[in-house]
Amino acid sequence: MTGGSAYQRGLAALRAGAPAELPPRSRGIIALLEENCTVCMLCARECPDWCIEIDSHKQTLPARTERGRPRVLHVLDRFAIDFGLCMWCGICIEVCPFDALFWSPSFEHATTAATDLVHERADLRTWLVGVPVPPALDR
Amino acid sequence: MTLAEVLGHEPSTSYGVVVAEVDRAGWAAVVTDVRDLGYAFFDVLTAVDLEAEGFEVVLRLWDPAARKGVVLRTRCPREDARVPTLTEVFAGAGWHERAAAELFGITFDGHATAHLLLSEGFDGHPLRKDFVLASRVAKRWPGAKEPGESDADLAAELTADRTGRGSRRRAVPPGVPTGWGPPR
Repeated sequence: MTGGSAYQRGLAALRAGAPAELPPRSRGIIALLEENCTVCMLCARECPDWCIEIDSHKQTLPARTERGRPRVLHVLDRFAIDFGLCMWCGICIEVCPFDALFWSPSFEHATTAATDLVHERADLRTWLVGVPVPPALDR
Repeated sequence: MTLAEVLGHEPSTSYGVVVAEVDRAGWAAVVTDVRDLGYAFFDVLTAVDLEAEGFEVVLRLWDPAARKGVVLRTRCPREDARVPTLTEVFAGAGWHERAAAELFGITFDGHATAHLLLSEGFDGHPLRKDFVLASRVAKRWPGAKEPGESDADLAAELTADRTGRGSRRRAVPPGVPTGWGPPR
């Protein structure tokens, strides 16, 4: 079987209205699990296309014990990816130290306006549906 | 004749791809001989900017009968970016040479490369590593903010910078000369 014939079969299936059969590790779109995000800015700095916009603020938690010190937290206010600029390199996903970003196989995101390609944090969360389970850890 | 006999040395294999380095002076002649071995399908010609080591012109040929490919590479120094043309060997190479000439600033001797992709009078060669994208001037770097910093904090700090009260040393975007960026 050649790549061409698989492509032709895929096209025929799509025309027949069947859901697309995607190979494993398909790069559809980038999903955000914002609970894991610590606002470290690494993804925004590493992105070669400058397509990740992050906004955050500091929040101070009071000391939990009598001799403890107050702690400063970074709270995410905005996380947006401009898929009009993104080139699907996946560097942001690779660089994220806390697994907040994932490849989602979902790919049907065509719009009629370039501004609609900017996906805010709420959109990015919805792409989590369908993110494949990661491979098992080595024993 | 085998590939090694034509090249004068044994080609290496890198990630399953047969790769051979060719001397610049013999570029067209070696490509002709490799084509006559059966690698008759011209796949692609492009270039790589190796910075101090000059430019590398990369050519991939395919043998349709044996279903195998070969990658041939040649080097030219930065200050003498000239490589012989392959348009006598493969007419279709002209298109690829025009793109490489325009985007990397390589001259293909024997081929008067007309411009292909960029507008008339475009200054510079966009695929050279030292070419800075105009969009880097028009857009603010999103990575300039520190963790826990908002757009308003950044704007306030930049105002302080302008009045000489700013203190923090900011992260700078890689590959962009200092001083580039939207006016503050």
